[in-house]
Amino acid sequence: MDPLLYVLDLIVFIGIFGILALSLNLEFGFAGLANFGKVAFFLIGAYTYALLSQIGVPFYLCLIAGATLSAAFGLLISLPALRLRADYLAIAILTFGEILRLIVKSESWIAGGDWGISVSPAIAISGGSHRVDVLVNIGLVYFCLLICFVIAQLLANSPYGRVMRAVREDEVAAEALGKNRARYKAQVLMLGSAMAGIAGGLYAQYLQYVLPGMFMPMVTFTVWIMVLLGGPANNWGAVLGAVLVTLFDRGTNIAKDYLTLPIDPSNLQYILFGALIILVLLYRPQGLLKESPIKTKALESVKRERSVVKGKGS
Amino acid sequence: MEEGLLRIREVSKHFGGVYAVNGVSLDVKEGGICGLVGPNGSGKSTLFNTILGIHRPDGGNIYFNGNCINCLAPHQIYALGLVNAFQLPRLFYQMSVLDNMLVAARGQQGDKLLNSLFLRRKWQEQEKGLIEEALEILELMELDKWAFSLAGELSGGQRKLLEVARALMAKPTLLLLDEPAAGINPVLGRKMFQKLEDLSRNGTTFFIVEHRLEILFEFASWIYVMDRGKTVVGGEPEDISEEPAFYRAYLGEE
Repeated sequence: MDPLLYVLDLIVFIGIFGILALSLNLEFGFAGLANFGKVAFFLIGAYTYALLSQIGVPFYLCLIAGATLSAAFGLLISLPALRLRADYLAIAILTFGEILRLIVKSESWIAGGDWGISVSPAIAISGGSHRVDVLVNIGLVYFCLLICFVIAQLLANSPYGRVMRAVREDEVAAEALGKNRARYKAQVLMLGSAMAGIAGGLYAQYLQYVLPGMFMPMVTFTVWIMVLLGGPANNWGAVLGAVLVTLFDRGTNIAKDYLTLPIDPSNLQYILFGALIILVLLYRPQGLLKESPIKTKALESVKRERSVVKGKGS
Repeated sequence: MEEGLLRIREVSKHFGGVYAVNGVSLDVKEGGICGLVGPNGSGKSTLFNTILGIHRPDGGNIYFNGNCINCLAPHQIYALGLVNAFQLPRLFYQMSVLDNMLVAARGQQGDKLLNSLFLRRKWQEQEKGLIEEALEILELMELDKWAFSLAGELSGGQRKLLEVARALMAKPTLLLLDEPAAGINPVLGRKMFQKLEDLSRNGTTFFIVEHRLEILFEFASWIYVMDRGKTVVGGEPEDISEEPAFYRAYLGEE
């Protein structure tokens, strides 16, 4: 395989998983919602994109539709989220993802069952090589990543972000301080799901096919490792985690071609992932990057004034 | 009877077979500090939680400013101006002291999803004012030096102070305080009550549970005594301190 193509492919994957990591970071890192069903919303985005693109809907509408439908399911899942304790919510959403995957797998009238369906490229450049196609994808993916990142940053550094963190820290206290926690949880899950839906659409359109095997629960756990490793409640951390874990994932994928092991090498990868989670949680529970404090214009200027006063005093 | 800011009528709350609050009726009049005393387990905190909507009353009615608030959620009760500070501080420990304060402000522009993204100038302008108010209250509680530290780094007494400070940030009409002076050094405790008294002249009414009776009796204008889920007596502090029922509640039957 063309080595440059390999690198470009890696860049696309980092972008798509970066969006997923940002969305989970919003839910788990900031608002404390343990969404163990990320892959469900990824799947909804991907299948919506695939099905709509087959009937000739332009790619941007496919993406928006995927995000909207995914957000609607996010809202749906937020209803039990208000009644269930965090750990039960995690189990409920986890099974939701598996149920969706099994539905598209066994109900072949929806999207070809196990065989999946193919997706036509978003922007077809006549006579372009595969390399050009990938470059177009990079542009599209990183444009979406940038938008998601900017939204996540703006929210994190606003009074809204303050409330998200407050709900994470102590939802009863947040409620007693006038914050409608049900509403905040629903909004955050909708927003996170919309982002995952966009990532799914991009994934479908890049690979140019969708099939149930692409949406195993492992995808969710991979995104979780990204967020835990990079640092929850830090958007840069989420992106850093996406970069590192994708590199690790791909790196071990190459390495396994050259290894002879007594076990299946793809299982080795899962074992390494598991070990990585344990190592991070044991030795660096806050992740590589620490939680970023809320930064607003007014807060920053007060902080500056105070450091000036202190400087004069000493 | 009608002029009470907070009117509680025959309110009951039971957990299983235990009546923690059993047909309590009382009035908190506007202005000043109203105290609620009673031995441990007499139902004071349960009564507070019921007023705040954390527990639903099993019977009776609660009126605030003439409106029945039995069926409202805690955040709706808060929006009406009825705010509390928890007995055991429930701070947002991974957030700075100042951010803890700012969360509590009422009527914020930027705590809604779309406003936070699209009305940035508006809430930024508002936040400047809120920060000033927050720092003023923190100064009062001698916490301003820690404004940018994490709340989790504060000592036990400071956490207590921040809990009260955060409730004050909401500019409440009625503030329920559950043992605000417990665990705070006596000098600062008295100072806090003096400050509350000042605030009570500017339109905030306080309803306070406190075991430090000497402080409470000095500042309160009205005291209710609770025992075994019921209010046994209510009156001005001077009268209460001569009331046999008050001693019976604390010391038991002779």
